[in-house]
Amino acid sequence: MSNIYQLLFFRFLFLSLGQILIFNNFLIFGNNVNIYLIFVLVFPLNFNTSFSYIIVFLFGFILDFFSNSMGIITFTLLISILIKPYILKFIFGNFDINQVRKTSEYISKTSLFQKTSYLLIMFISHQLIVNFIDIFSSEKLKIIINKTLVSTIISIFFSYIILFIFFRKNER
Amino acid sequence: MRNFIDYLIKNTSSIIYLFLITIALTQIFSRNYYQNSVFNLYFSDITNSFIDKKNNITSYLKLIEENKRLVRENIYLLEESINSNYLSLDSIQKDNFELIPAGIISNSIRFDKNFITLNAGDNDGVEIDDGIITKFGIIGIINKTSDKFSTGISLLNSEIKINAMVKKTNHFGSLFWDGLSHEKVKLTDIPKSANISKGDTIVSGGMSYIFPKNILIGVVDDYSIPESTNYYDITIRLFEDFGAIRNVFVIKNNSFDELKSLIENE
Repeated sequence: MSNIYQLLFFRFLFLSLGQILIFNNFLIFGNNVNIYLIFVLVFPLNFNTSFSYIIVFLFGFILDFFSNSMGIITFTLLISILIKPYILKFIFGNFDINQVRKTSEYISKTSLFQKTSYLLIMFISHQLIVNFIDIFSSEKLKIIINKTLVSTIISIFFSYIILFIFFRKNER
Repeated sequence: MRNFIDYLIKNTSSIIYLFLITIALTQIFSRNYYQNSVFNLYFSDITNSFIDKKNNITSYLKLIEENKRLVRENIYLLEESINSNYLSLDSIQKDNFELIPAGIISNSIRFDKNFITLNAGDNDGVEIDDGIITKFGIIGIINKTSDKFSTGISLLNSEIKINAMVKKTNHFGSLFWDGLSHEKVKLTDIPKSANISKGDTIVSGGMSYIFPKNILIGVVDDYSIPESTNYYDITIRLFEDFGAIRNVFVIKNNSFDELKSLIENE
């Protein structure tokens, strides 16, 4: 079990530092690249639920303070971790969470289309909530949708590369 | 009672979730202008000292960029001393305005409501409602202070509106950010009679307690007159690159309290 904690700790460190030190410092088409969602995407499935909420909260909290975003990231990450199992079930079919130790065991045999739609749905929902809370105005719906689409595409592109390089072997 | 405790134990994760999401929501709502969250300030002192150290390292890597900025600023100062028709920092000071130098330790430009953190606070004389400027433009307004640090609402925050005027004709209107590009802001309420053309300089209007007159903001990039109105809809290209600011001045109006009490008593 200590292995899982170690893994989580390194992911926590790697993704938060990567986001704060590298990806927060530049914009592409006026949008930021958000790779931190990977932490939620590959979060162990059969992990203690309460504990997972607390870890995700801390992760978001730290990102918030270093990105000047005051709670938005924490809030949206908490929403993402809540809806994650439902989206997994929706895309990859029904499964018993307690039986699956690694997300990779479950995902490895599925098609690229399914993997991409998993990333797409997670990122779109995440970016939509981030932009909606940030802008919080129905008059600017066009801007919200525009920003959501562009940042989703950019973030998926970078996240896919990072997932491909670092997370292929020990996806849980 | 026992049932209640059983219920609590059964639903620990939901309760923890609700608790955490409430904290996150409180954080979001504390983004309001005058809200002063004690928890926030206490925690920000710790993170800000960390960011300050990180910036010491990264600023070293950005020396080339910083040099370019300094050259740009020097050219500007030289031009200014030749023309000397621009209100200099000295005369701003004479006019009851005091400048406090500060460094930016964290700044965001990617949200719709952006904030700036500065490494000057109460100890340096920074107060809530002071303005933040550079030689090339208005940056924002201070909204929270602690002993060593302060945070400000950036000009790139859709909730802020600043009085600005066209330098050529002295027509004034209100300046705000539409959340699209960090290089451009919008100016409205300038009447048709102002005869705007591309490239006109926009400066601060001086009709506020916070900013003095004639602080540079940007140039007219594009304009139109929407149907059924008599006012221009102007897009302004900012002089200041918000993604690359490192040093700013906090501008303090020494007669702020006097002015405010006068207005409130009326």
